[in-house]
Amino acid sequence: MTAFEATSDTSWFQRAVFYEVLVRGFYDANHDGTGDLKGLTEKLDYIEWLGIDCLWLLPFYQSPLRDGGYDISDFFTILPEYGDLADAVGLVEEAHRRGIRIIADLVMNHTSDAHPWFQESRQDRTNPRADWYVWSDDPEQWSEARIIFVDTEHSNWTWDPVRQQYYWHRFFSHQPDLNFDNPEVQQAMIDVVRFWLDIGLDGFRLDAVPYLYERDGTNGENLPESHDYLKLLRKEVDAAFPGKVLLAEANQWPADVVDYFGEGDECHMCFHFPLMPRMFMAIRREQRYPITEILAQTPEIPEGCQWAIFLRNHDELTLEMVTDEERDYMYTEYAKDPRMKRNVGISRRLAPLVDNDRRVAELLHAMLFSMPGSPILYYGDEVGMGDNIYLGDRDGVRTPMQWTPDRNGGFSKADFAQLYLPPLMDPVYGYQAVNVEAEQRNPSSQLHWTRRMLEVRRQHPLFGTGSFEIVPTENPSVLAYLRCQDNDLVLCVNNLSRFAQPAELPLQRHAGKTPIELMGRVPFPKVGELPYFVTLNPYAFYWFQLVDM
Amino acid sequence: MSPTTSDTTLTATLEPLLPGYLGRQRWYSGAAPTSVAVVACETLAPGLEWLLADAGGARYQVVVGLRPAGSAPDFLSGNDQAVIGVVGDEIAFDATFDPDYAKTLLHLVAPGEDATLVRPMGAEQSNTSLVIDDRLVLKVFRRLHDGANPDVEIPTALAARGFAHVAAPVGVWQRDGVDLAVCAQYLAGGAEGWALALTSLRDLYGAGVDDAGAAGGDFGAEASRLGEVTAELHLALADAFGTSPGDAAAWAAGVEAQMGRLADGDFDSVAAKEFVERLRAVDRPGAALRAHGDYHLGQVMRTDAGWFVLDFEGEPARSLEERRRPSSPFKDVAGMLRSFQYAAAVALSERDEGEQERLAPLAGAWENRNRLAFLGGYLGTDGIDALLPEPGADRSAVLAAFEFDKAVYEVLYERAHRPAWVEIPLRAVRRLLDAQE
Repeated sequence: MTAFEATSDTSWFQRAVFYEVLVRGFYDANHDGTGDLKGLTEKLDYIEWLGIDCLWLLPFYQSPLRDGGYDISDFFTILPEYGDLADAVGLVEEAHRRGIRIIADLVMNHTSDAHPWFQESRQDRTNPRADWYVWSDDPEQWSEARIIFVDTEHSNWTWDPVRQQYYWHRFFSHQPDLNFDNPEVQQAMIDVVRFWLDIGLDGFRLDAVPYLYERDGTNGENLPESHDYLKLLRKEVDAAFPGKVLLAEANQWPADVVDYFGEGDECHMCFHFPLMPRMFMAIRREQRYPITEILAQTPEIPEGCQWAIFLRNHDELTLEMVTDEERDYMYTEYAKDPRMKRNVGISRRLAPLVDNDRRVAELLHAMLFSMPGSPILYYGDEVGMGDNIYLGDRDGVRTPMQWTPDRNGGFSKADFAQLYLPPLMDPVYGYQAVNVEAEQRNPSSQLHWTRRMLEVRRQHPLFGTGSFEIVPTENPSVLAYLRCQDNDLVLCVNNLSRFAQPAELPLQRHAGKTPIELMGRVPFPKVGELPYFVTLNPYAFYWFQLVDM
Repeated sequence: MSPTTSDTTLTATLEPLLPGYLGRQRWYSGAAPTSVAVVACETLAPGLEWLLADAGGARYQVVVGLRPAGSAPDFLSGNDQAVIGVVGDEIAFDATFDPDYAKTLLHLVAPGEDATLVRPMGAEQSNTSLVIDDRLVLKVFRRLHDGANPDVEIPTALAARGFAHVAAPVGVWQRDGVDLAVCAQYLAGGAEGWALALTSLRDLYGAGVDDAGAAGGDFGAEASRLGEVTAELHLALADAFGTSPGDAAAWAAGVEAQMGRLADGDFDSVAAKEFVERLRAVDRPGAALRAHGDYHLGQVMRTDAGWFVLDFEGEPARSLEERRRPSSPFKDVAGMLRSFQYAAAVALSERDEGEQERLAPLAGAWENRNRLAFLGGYLGTDGIDALLPEPGADRSAVLAAFEFDKAVYEVLYERAHRPAWVEIPLRAVRRLLDAQE
């Protein structure tokens, strides 16, 4: 891989594979028990070897850490445990040298209540930042807005004894919402964005964007004013920093999420949230409809945009967008243990979610890598790491990366007791059984399999930007689709069942072409005038390139 | 229909070939006829002839393609049953197998539509369906009856009323008021309810759980949604074709007549009589309406837009007049409930005999779970109560009677066609009779 020209390729994110990293949990370079930016920099060779195009870093800003760093108290300072600005610059340079880009989480909707802006704003009703947050005397205002963290919050308003007024917060009460009606706040956030892009970051994952504004008589989500602000931000970014990307976190139904693409003039990327739980459900039900149903309800997106799709991330299994019935179903299946219920979701890693069945994990990855969108991997899932549900909150899926079978899983040379979280040590998922070193040595490991899949994916840009078309088949357990771009045509066939399945695929339109299986380049019998017949082992999949031979 | 003859020589040559040809067709019911008369014949296009054949009073539509003999076209290889015979220096065959002639037919049925790729839809009982570009279905009716074909009449009326769970027709080909073929939207990516039910059951039998609801492939939510769509179907049918007061006495007479065709030893005839009497005594049996008439898991299709209802022809063995006669909506409900038992039993029969005894309780649990889910979805739909018997004893009596009627019909059908399966409906007959005591 060669280093890229920072500005020449403005559509890289449409073909990229992302890798979500918890800096705290990746690698500890200074032996203090907490991962840091220098540690991440040391591990870039591994990221490059795996075939990752872009890192997504969870928040690394100064923070009291009451919400995993999403409670930012200074946007311009690196959390000291992670390092300093020089470390950040070093990381970006080293990553770029390897052709790897980096985006970072940015919370625009709110700050920590420890942020100096809030401390100033709360002093009285007339100070220069009095209007930077959303204050009111009436805690009944905007009662149509739902409470998102129902387990901990009773209202979106909290009384501030200093200012003798209520302040608005869509999330935790220690995270007051910024007032985007104030032009100074709008400019302040643009300054934050410019600061980090100047340093060399390649974009942002914008946290909680649907909630920027509040308006009477609305639920305060997806308001036109929020879209207008994002468009303004995009304009600023495009003008000064071409090729940078804005990825919106808007956990909404796809028909509403597409609004965040604007006319191709708002966010470059948005997460496709409902797809993920439905992929799990399709395998559970052994039928494709949970997936095809949501894809059928997903509108076309503007030119130059892309979905971000994922199997797992640092949050709970997001079920907000599935119906109540489906949510119950997901709970009974995946969270038999009540401790795993967090808000409306479940914090689990991929491997335990699929009962450590590697066939299912591979099938899910194969679908993730071949469906419309840019895939995001969660650190550690490539080696099949597990979770520790007894750590509480979302920490269960944020344990240290398992590098070697040595002390602390090779994550840190600190004393065990000093580690930010204990590494997994159970006999199935513990670092002695599951780690990068062992899997790198074993050519049949999940790690090598993942690397090979990413290699094949990279050879076919159609996985990022090609058209997508479901191939109908009468067997409900089989999900088949065609990806196509220019003269490249790939057929993907997935068996969602734990039993072997046959499928007849109406491919007569491509009669005369030869399917070549992409992992091993083995030619299969030609497509003829009859439906194309394939048989699939349990949870098996094929990627066939259809070529003229 | 007036007999028109375009080519008497051709007719004369084809006529003796038709008995053998008809006897080979899935869509022809019964043994090969001894003689067939061509009552109408017309050239649709060069090499494409339309025939109306009379076989012992039943009339069949045959679309004949002609191509030079000697070089048999590719589409006939492996499809011997489609060949009618050699006529002079030409080979005559079922023109629906010929992609070019199929396009000509499509232009007749739906003049605005065009086709690039035509493929047969697979095994079908009573008609021939072709899939056009994964976009449309061209259905050619085989056995013809006077008057409107319900398979055209009902979807057209439902689609006009905005009922979204039916494939909307885009063109119909008629002659003298008789429907010959219909072209409708193709439900791409759909799978039959029957296939989904078997997927669920195979998962359950292989899961090693003892609770039907705990298996991954649970069908309960699907069954419930199917119940809702069924209720919406009945409401739309009532709106489209009107309703009349149900006639419990007439329904009871129908069940009685059906019962009379069973052998005495099949069940407790005293109990059966009580069963019929209970139906006859129902005071307010609900409405009668144009129902689907042959409703089961093979007639519904799961798509990305939910459940769709197919095939409104009714039970093929009954006369058209009988099929168009209004009936209780519970006739359809009963049909679907019976289908759940069939699915559970058929999936059970796939298993090794040694396992069947162990798995039988699961089959029962699956059937029961999905019955309840289906009924829950159906009865919970707004407005459906107005079409149904009073809740309570009346409602149970009417539903059970239609289930009984259907099960008895199935016993007769299986005896005639699939004797190995006769135990399935017989078990249901006995269970229904036991339940009333």
